[in-house]
Amino acid sequence: MLLNYIKIAWKVLLRHPFYTFITLFGISLTLTVLMVLTSFLDHLLGTHYPEVRRDRSLYIMQMDMRDSSQTSRSSGPMSFKFLTDFVKTLKTPERVTICTFVNSSNAYVGSQKIKLNTKFTDADFWYVNGFEFLEGKPYNEQNIANGDYVAVITDDLKKQYFEGTESAVGREIEVENIRYRVIGVVRSGPITRPFSYSDIYFPYTTPKSNYQRSGMRGGYVCIILAKNKSDFAAIQEEFQGRIDRIPLPGVEDGFKYGVVNVGCQPYAENFIGTILGESSNLNAIFFGVVTFIMLMLMGLPAINLVNINVSRIMERASEIGIRKAFGAPVKTLVWQFIVENIFITFIGGAIALVFASVIIHLINESGWIAYADLTINLNVFLVSLLVCLVFGLLSGVLPALRMSKLNIAEALKS
Amino acid sequence: MIPHLFKLIWNKKKSHALLIVEIWASFLVLFGLATLIVINVGNYREPLGFTYENVWAIGLRNNQDTVSIADKQQRILQRLKAYPEVESVSRMSGNFPFSANQMNNGIEYNKRKAHPDFYVTDEDFAKVLDIPMTAGSWYRNVDSVGKYKPIVINKKLKEALFSDENPLGKVLSDKFRVVGVVDKFKAKGEFMSDKPAIFELVKVNETWNDTMLMRVKPGTDAVFEAKIVKDIASMVTGWSVEVDYLADSRKNQHNLVLVPVIIALVVCTFLLINVALGLFGVLNLSIAKRRGEIGLRRAMGATGSGISTQFIGEIWVLATFAMLIGLLFAIQFPLLNVFDVKAGVYVTAIIIAVLIIYAIVTLCALFPSRQAALIQPAVALHEE
Repeated sequence: MLLNYIKIAWKVLLRHPFYTFITLFGISLTLTVLMVLTSFLDHLLGTHYPEVRRDRSLYIMQMDMRDSSQTSRSSGPMSFKFLTDFVKTLKTPERVTICTFVNSSNAYVGSQKIKLNTKFTDADFWYVNGFEFLEGKPYNEQNIANGDYVAVITDDLKKQYFEGTESAVGREIEVENIRYRVIGVVRSGPITRPFSYSDIYFPYTTPKSNYQRSGMRGGYVCIILAKNKSDFAAIQEEFQGRIDRIPLPGVEDGFKYGVVNVGCQPYAENFIGTILGESSNLNAIFFGVVTFIMLMLMGLPAINLVNINVSRIMERASEIGIRKAFGAPVKTLVWQFIVENIFITFIGGAIALVFASVIIHLINESGWIAYADLTINLNVFLVSLLVCLVFGLLSGVLPALRMSKLNIAEALKS
Repeated sequence: MIPHLFKLIWNKKKSHALLIVEIWASFLVLFGLATLIVINVGNYREPLGFTYENVWAIGLRNNQDTVSIADKQQRILQRLKAYPEVESVSRMSGNFPFSANQMNNGIEYNKRKAHPDFYVTDEDFAKVLDIPMTAGSWYRNVDSVGKYKPIVINKKLKEALFSDENPLGKVLSDKFRVVGVVDKFKAKGEFMSDKPAIFELVKVNETWNDTMLMRVKPGTDAVFEAKIVKDIASMVTGWSVEVDYLADSRKNQHNLVLVPVIIALVVCTFLLINVALGLFGVLNLSIAKRRGEIGLRRAMGATGSGISTQFIGEIWVLATFAMLIGLLFAIQFPLLNVFDVKAGVYVTAIIIAVLIIYAIVTLCALFPSRQAALIQPAVALHEE
């Protein structure tokens, strides 16, 4: 029976290739946009190389200072000393790493200039992030204590700086007149993960890291690795307890503060908070507009689909009339249309899957985001397929239901 | 004619409701996209106000070195000026053109307030970036005698604070004295809107203003760059030196604006193609259903072009009706002033969206209505 329905559906599809094209275009367009968008969000917020433990990490990115009357505000990364005193000593986390945000610098090879992103980190950085070492090894506590001029570089920088050499380990790289010994080469991560992204990593005890700063503010951020997700609340509570003990009011670089806030959040919350900033009023408008646009994106193809299907159902009047005349109950007829709609939605879904993979491949290859590793999220694909199925059912089944209740004589007349 | 068309549509309001919703939604999507594009094109057409080719920004950081910073900065400045490849050098704050940094502050004159961008620069800034003056002259070090700091403002700020008054010699916020006016200064690139700006004379002891802007002779390359980085590093040990070409930074700033617009454009184009195809299909079907009516009209003496006009007219009335509803939504943006955009931009965007919608529905109706005009009354009525 099912096979028969699918055969009929296939014949209906072939009868008017133009309308079939419109229907499939609508379904696959909606699904493609949805899949590419969500895979991009997943790329930004999900757990991927090198931050392979992001799902059980908390991020501390900036300290927010305000004066007691809440009129002026100063915010930014913190000093190494502050993070060591307040975060490194926490009891609940598994491990804590302190590193700088992305800084930039230049290196020169002959007449060639290489733009570099640099990062100063502690030894735990290599534990919290799951970098894949292609050569050598990371620097350890011993290197840091000795103040060794060592560096870990990415495979991309190796390609640019040590062109054509087998192994970079043990060789020297010169950045701003200081020579560092390369002790490891890692596979590059994408620039969209600023907590781990860099071209070259130095121990924080090398020159120019400014870890000696004595105030609370500086250039460092922090990733806290929890033993598991359920510890988040405990860590946040312990951390907040420490923040509450900061003596208030105080003065930092000439700024008199009365309130100090330091967020300690999972990556997604931290990211959204940074983008939207503070004012909740603007937030509401922004979210309203974004939701509206999304609704339009999804809604337009859906309305289109419903429109076409409603107009086309009259074509099938005679078919329905004949089947009813031979005694088919309403239930069978509706079931047939459901199968037909599922069939066409799956075809649309398959096309969308191909389109989305091609687009994602193009984004990955284009170098628009260096080392992008976008992937199609299967869950997202299934959910969007379900959404399309609902549209298809709404548009196909409701008119069919109405038609199947049609008078036989009336239906056969046309 | 139009009331008649309206009656025809009203009679079939149920089946037309979906069409109206579709056109309404497309109108809103188009309105959003057009607003985005009109804003950016409008900004792009205004000149930058300065030139950036062959200008390098050298960022210096003293790190842990705290001994006589101001003196060292002056020595670096003098050293840079001495290179034969260098045309001119200027010292300024970290928010150099096309950088990601921003600095702004409130300012007041005669109870009028403004919130301009602040650029702290020295006397050679206008020379390095080639900024033409519209009134007065760029400040010089000798101007800083007395209580007030000399400043240069741009035209936008002049309009905000002084309107028609002559700003030269006026005192702002009780600490700045205006000595010159420039036309525009769009530091974040062509796509930035023309915002009010103030240029303030840097003092030698303000050591945090540690960026050097340098105009080099055309054709100067990375070999020279490596040389100055090496020279500076050996002059002041422990300092960080970073060189950016303004031309590169400008590209980054442009991408920040262009990439989202291009994505929106591509997605909207596909949506509209989708809508157009759907509309075409629906109109085709509805004309096939109305063969009897068309045959009757032809038999009564209507011409072929009369029939086409009726169908195109019908879809126009439908589109107008949908867009009137859409306009109720769109008009809220200028009325409530949601995004701090000029009302003129929204009006232009609405006009563009309306025109595109009319163009799309006409295109979609053209072929089906041509088909309708070809229907022979005898054949059509015979079927009935």
